[in-house]
Amino acid sequence: MLSRDGVAGLVCLAGAAVLALASRGLPQPALVPIGPAFYPRILFGVTAALSLALVIADLLGPRRPAAPPAHYRLVVLTFVIFALYVFAMPALGYRVATFVFVAALQMVLDPPRGWRWALALGMAFVSTAATYLVFEQYLSVLLPRGRLTGF
Amino acid sequence: MFGPLLGSLGEIVQTQYLLPLAIGTLAGMLGGALPGVTITMTIIIVLPFTFGLDPLAGLAAMVGVYVGGESGGLVTASLLGIPGTPSAVATTFDGFPMARHGQPGRAVWLGTWASFFAGILGAIFLVAATVPLARFALQFGPWEYFSLFIFALSMVAGLTEHSLLKGFLSGAIGLLITVIGTDPIMAVPRFHFGTDFLRNGFQFLPVLIGIFAFAQIMTDLERMGAGQRAARIEAPSLAVSHPAVIWDIVKRPFLMLWSTLIGLLIGVLPAVGGSAANVMAYDQAKKFSRHPEKFGTGIPEGIIASEAANNANVAGSLVTIMAFGIPGDAVTAVMLGAMIIHGIQPGPLFMTQEPRVAYGIFAAYIMAHPVMMLLQWLLARVYLRVVQVPTSILIPNILVLCVIGAYALNNVMDNVHALLLFGVLGYLLVKFGFPLAPLILGVILGDQIEVNLVRSLMTDADPWQFVTRPISGAMLALSVLSVVLALWQHRRQYRRAAAPAAGGPDTDF
Repeated sequence: MLSRDGVAGLVCLAGAAVLALASRGLPQPALVPIGPAFYPRILFGVTAALSLALVIADLLGPRRPAAPPAHYRLVVLTFVIFALYVFAMPALGYRVATFVFVAALQMVLDPPRGWRWALALGMAFVSTAATYLVFEQYLSVLLPRGRLTGF
Repeated sequence: MFGPLLGSLGEIVQTQYLLPLAIGTLAGMLGGALPGVTITMTIIIVLPFTFGLDPLAGLAAMVGVYVGGESGGLVTASLLGIPGTPSAVATTFDGFPMARHGQPGRAVWLGTWASFFAGILGAIFLVAATVPLARFALQFGPWEYFSLFIFALSMVAGLTEHSLLKGFLSGAIGLLITVIGTDPIMAVPRFHFGTDFLRNGFQFLPVLIGIFAFAQIMTDLERMGAGQRAARIEAPSLAVSHPAVIWDIVKRPFLMLWSTLIGLLIGVLPAVGGSAANVMAYDQAKKFSRHPEKFGTGIPEGIIASEAANNANVAGSLVTIMAFGIPGDAVTAVMLGAMIIHGIQPGPLFMTQEPRVAYGIFAAYIMAHPVMMLLQWLLARVYLRVVQVPTSILIPNILVLCVIGAYALNNVMDNVHALLLFGVLGYLLVKFGFPLAPLILGVILGDQIEVNLVRSLMTDADPWQFVTRPISGAMLALSVLSVVLALWQHRRQYRRAAAPAAGGPDTDF
């Protein structure tokens, strides 16, 4: 039975194999001996060999004790909220998306009670306004405008 | 050499440079003091603020973060027993006991003054060594560069603590990331699978920000999910007699010089970093001491050695990036990205082509130390309150700054998507026990390895040139040696772990 290392080795091996197959479509230039597939193929070979060695070492090596259970709830929620933020930004614009993101993530990480709702919203407003003013007004970084909001 | 430096020192004290330097140093000290926020994370946060600045002002801010971060870590290490940054791990061994024995001011200021003196000694090394090393690097052809990069990668992968194989595989994954997109020799798009997102490949800053920031933040969130919260603490008085503290350091010149030398040498080695310097200098101080049994009880030697080494490490890392164009660690990797954004290519020609920026970096490094001392004197107690900012407020704001940092590179959302993609990948790699340093070095050096390999083979198809050319051959021999040494070290550790009862616990640390 494979453990964490063996699974990682298999995933890397599969990735190297997929990329090696994709390299078959790359053109071989007529005038020079080395084409765009030359170096990647060396890399795929090295990666595949290392991955295979990891799988074998995992199969032959001593079993490690299982890691204590991790708490993934906040991790998953943070990734989901961040992904929504990133993909909503072109539609909502930097200011609206950032305000919603900062407020939502604060509420997920530390659910507010009573007057702390206002504090979370206030923090979101201050973060959005401060970053917008510093970057757009002072550092001339043009932050995304929203397709839907125009803001 | 020292003439242009004086000119640059005159330039760096002007408000337009001194202000970013001071703000960067302050940010570094706060980031270094915040447990869970590393110097790499702090420099990532500061990065977008530097885009709109003059290149020297931006780099001065980053040098400030680097120097400040190394010093900020000692405040929480000494007063809370929690290293604010990994490069302050060994500082806790004696700093915290000294603070608990009623000498918090002495603990903090011994570390601060040791950092200051090591920084000044490091500056002398930085200025004196960079030019000769850059001249030496001018003899390099594509064979030598290829072998140098392989040496750097093999060293970093070999230094992996747990699994050597995973260290090498992590480096290989980093190199694989760089083959996606346009081929650097013939500009042929590769491995884009018909998508526009992959057609141009990935810029390395979003990759680096995604991998480091998310790996750190998500690991913190796991702990937070497990109910671990920081305890509230009171800020103690840090009043101390400065002449007495300085005398504590000056009367141990060998310890100070040896620890500084260790920090410098470890800094020069690619991607090893301040945490290794900090721990190794502590270990050396203990081995050379007449009373090693007192280490860990709150003695000045432990603090001086560990703090001198981590600050000197900064100078060593700067030498490597300026002379060879190779980042000494993750912090200088971000600096390398910032330089490239500003159209500056560090490497052997950097000193001659960009003398103003190069000497400006020297000057910023020197000036960052008095600025750090001043800020430590004014604000050390304030840091302890700032480090108690709730994680629920800190994390969303860090993520917003990461997004801006990635987006502002060329004002496209693709970089932000790459940030998310590599954030997920970075976290998964950490969960699967892969070290991140080899991966990052692979991403940074990937294109250069390919370019130099192809160039050398196009110049002379004989692959033995890599071995027979003296510098290239020496580099490859060192690569093999570093792998063999790493294998030997891992085998020894494995044997020790297999027979824990034989000699009792290892009491070194």
